[in-house]
Amino acid sequence: MKKLTFFFDGIEVSAIPGQSIGAALLESGTKVLRSTRIENKPRGMFCGIGVCFDCLVVINGVPNQRACLTEVAEAIQVINQQGSGAYPIEGAS
Amino acid sequence: MITIIGGGPAGLAAALAAGESGSKVLLIDSAPRLGGQYWRHLPENGAWGKQEAIRHDFEKGNQLRQRVAQSVNIEVLSNAHVWRASPHDEHITLHLLVGGVGRTIDVKNLILSTGAYDRSLPFPGWDIPGVMTPGGAQGLLKGNYVLPGKRIVVAGTGPFLLPVAAGLAEAGAEIVALLDANRLTRWIPKFHIVLANRAKLREGLGYFQTLAKYKIRQQRGSAVIQANAGSDGTLESVTIATIGRNFRAKAQEIIKCDSLAVGWGFTADLSLASNLNLKQDVLEEDKSVFVTVDEMQRTSMQNVFAAGEITGIGGHQLSLTEGKIAGFAAAAQFGHLTDVELKGKLEPLLAQRKKERKFASALISSYPVKPGWQEWLAPDTCICRCEEVTMEQIQDSITELGATDARTVKLFTRTGMGMCQGRICGRAVIDIVGRESGINPTIQDYISASSRPIVTPLPLGILEHAPHIE
Amino acid sequence: MSNLYGVPDFKSHPDAIVIGAGVVGAACALKLSGAGLKVLVLDRGPIAGGTTGAGEGNILVSDKEPGAELTLAMRSRNAWFEISEEIGGGFELEAKGGIVVSRSDNGKTALRSLSRQQEVAGVEAIEVGSKELRLLEPYLSHEVDYGIHYPGDAQCQPMLAAARMLRILRQRGGNVISGADVIAINKDSVGVKSVLTNQGEFATRIVVNATGTWAGEIAQLAGSFLPIAPRRGFILVTAPAAHLISHKVYDSDYVANVASGDADLQSSAVVEGTKSGTILIGASRERVGFKSDLDISILRVLAAQAISLFPVLRNVQLVRAYRGFRPYAPDHLPVIGQDPLVTGLWHAAGHEGAGIGLAPATAELITSQVTAATPFMDASAFSPARFTAVLAS
Repeated sequence: MKKLTFFFDGIEVSAIPGQSIGAALLESGTKVLRSTRIENKPRGMFCGIGVCFDCLVVINGVPNQRACLTEVAEAIQVINQQGSGAYPIEGAS
Repeated sequence: MITIIGGGPAGLAAALAAGESGSKVLLIDSAPRLGGQYWRHLPENGAWGKQEAIRHDFEKGNQLRQRVAQSVNIEVLSNAHVWRASPHDEHITLHLLVGGVGRTIDVKNLILSTGAYDRSLPFPGWDIPGVMTPGGAQGLLKGNYVLPGKRIVVAGTGPFLLPVAAGLAEAGAEIVALLDANRLTRWIPKFHIVLANRAKLREGLGYFQTLAKYKIRQQRGSAVIQANAGSDGTLESVTIATIGRNFRAKAQEIIKCDSLAVGWGFTADLSLASNLNLKQDVLEEDKSVFVTVDEMQRTSMQNVFAAGEITGIGGHQLSLTEGKIAGFAAAAQFGHLTDVELKGKLEPLLAQRKKERKFASALISSYPVKPGWQEWLAPDTCICRCEEVTMEQIQDSITELGATDARTVKLFTRTGMGMCQGRICGRAVIDIVGRESGINPTIQDYISASSRPIVTPLPLGILEHAPHIE
Repeated sequence: MSNLYGVPDFKSHPDAIVIGAGVVGAACALKLSGAGLKVLVLDRGPIAGGTTGAGEGNILVSDKEPGAELTLAMRSRNAWFEISEEIGGGFELEAKGGIVVSRSDNGKTALRSLSRQQEVAGVEAIEVGSKELRLLEPYLSHEVDYGIHYPGDAQCQPMLAAARMLRILRQRGGNVISGADVIAINKDSVGVKSVLTNQGEFATRIVVNATGTWAGEIAQLAGSFLPIAPRRGFILVTAPAAHLISHKVYDSDYVANVASGDADLQSSAVVEGTKSGTILIGASRERVGFKSDLDISILRVLAAQAISLFPVLRNVQLVRAYRGFRPYAPDHLPVIGQDPLVTGLWHAAGHEGAGIGLAPATAELITSQVTAATPFMDASAFSPARFTAVLAS
């Protein structure tokens, strides 16, 4: 089966084309995808079909992306979302 | 042109019925590949050694998808999330997010088949990573060839737990236990309905055979009342209890597992139906909300049909039947079927639907969710997962702040105001507020729970620019 | 719906009845009870279910021109902090400060001139340039290089504010009945005699009409007249995005729009972060009656204006949108005082978009007038008697 590679918190993860980021991460042993913004609690995939918004991760710098819906793509950078995530300041060095 | 939203069993059946009758069809689906949750699949089907684990007549789904692909009348728009349907006097404007790009489409004729998702009940620890819905667990398997864990407990209630447990077992997971809160004895008075739906009976027996083959511990009248995290913060064990007919917990036991799939039937996805102000009603038996439709699956709004789970939870067979009826009825409206042709097509389908609805109704009464589940909740149990609102905060908003209904609890505590917009906790909060305040929720309270003016989040930059394509 | 808190012995004859359990009604009830009156609050719906439930929680001094309303706003702003002390907080009151910006030469001149006049009236208003703006709001567009910083502007969670004040009211022996629809306001030769509802009749000599957008209907039930109409507004709510925006930031056009009577859509960016982490984006204004459709073209305008102030918002997700109806009078001033035709009927309504901010001072004026105490300001500009001429013609 064809494989592709992406990154989670900087570490390489391999996946089958068509898999969701969440599924590929689970297969690689990662259950915790984010920590909540109020209680700082770990969360992972819950509904698995895009309804619950609990599997939020930062993909290529954009927070609040659903790991269960977003399909893996070659070389994308996914990171564990801390709270509500961070946004870069435009024009800042 | 007939536009269909939702490419699961109902939407596929509707598209084919209308398209093969000669109508032009636009089938809009949010997933990358048609089939809905029921026929979720990877693009390279057949490359995995465990297809046997995903039994559910997958062949049927493949056939329908092939027919859609071959039909010159059906255009498919995948990866398309409708984030708002705005009703106007003569048309409906659909606002979409298609592969990350904003679009709007004006449509005159619509079939809604937006499906359903697992119904969840809050309980202590349900937010621990490793706890999932059965639909989520099965979706991992069907759509990703991934198991949710190695040692899995399947729990909740309903017939759906059977294929989930059987599928996961065949795919190599150890199913530590299968717990259903309801006992099979609830079926006894309805056995004639089962006999009238032999295909369903055969399907059920097949799952039981699989469960027996893997020697899976099955326990009815039992529930997971708490999930427990290990030192790494993920699921380590569940506390299970035998429960009475009213779901009150009795004897308890702790079972080690790394994954829990727990669900309590299904909730229809009525966000778009609410956008369009379609008439909805509440089923007396379980207070589930559905879109009211007539014989031909027509809704309260002219030229808008509804089919599948949103007209009442009933499974994929009923969805297929309703989809066909809606598709033919819509095609006839444009003169693509004569009255006589339509009558001929509908006659067997209407009989079929009647039989399947009767079975669906028997299912609902055989797998009730009884109010005793609220006694499993602790003061610090998270009720709203998005906004991290606890049971105690909800209670305070009633006793201290004077909230008398679920909407006011929402305004005071932020339940249901998060990213999921109450899809997960909305119904549970209505039940909790009703019980804690002593004031019965109104039908409007249940219906309002799916009012989401913005159906799915979209970047503001996309809202700012969205060209018209039609 | 029923009375959740039992039936106190004064139920049939409270000293005063406040109709409306929004933030203005709750503040009036709190202040009247503080003056020793037994107060009953009636609302046809739940607590904070009307315009209060759709409000952003603005407590602003920056958007008022010098005059009676600014005096009211300045007192009210401080009164909120006193109330917070009095009731033990719990409604997310925060002196976050407001920043008004302008990007046009004319706008800058007008903004500078307004802020000078406000300063004379006692409002703290600090002129800020590009560098200071960046320190206050790092994500602000580089195109914005002039503004006025108003440290006095504050915000609260209005639904909680109303509920917390009513909680104290109940502790003082007052009462709140939700789901009580007023059917009639009965009078005798003295004035107001009783309020008839679907949950019974309540005798009283003092009725405070704090029903916001619906205040005209209550006035009519009492045989009087109040020209209060709804002005629709939409608010966008984003996904939580903590620390992106810390002040209430708005375009100076906003001040011009509030004072305008044009029915056509008016909108200028008002953007702010909240304690819950979400960002609120307003503020459109339309006079279209109680029309409730969600108009996507208005949401587009709001999004575009917000992005022009804060380009980072392009990638922030819109999660919810809701609309509310601001109650406004023809001259855009609140209506505070006794009805000229009905003795014992007091109006506290028509605050347009400023009801949250102006609620405590409104309650103080009502309480002074009801108890014949000396008010903190001359409130004749707000008197409902100003509409009598309209009625006579």
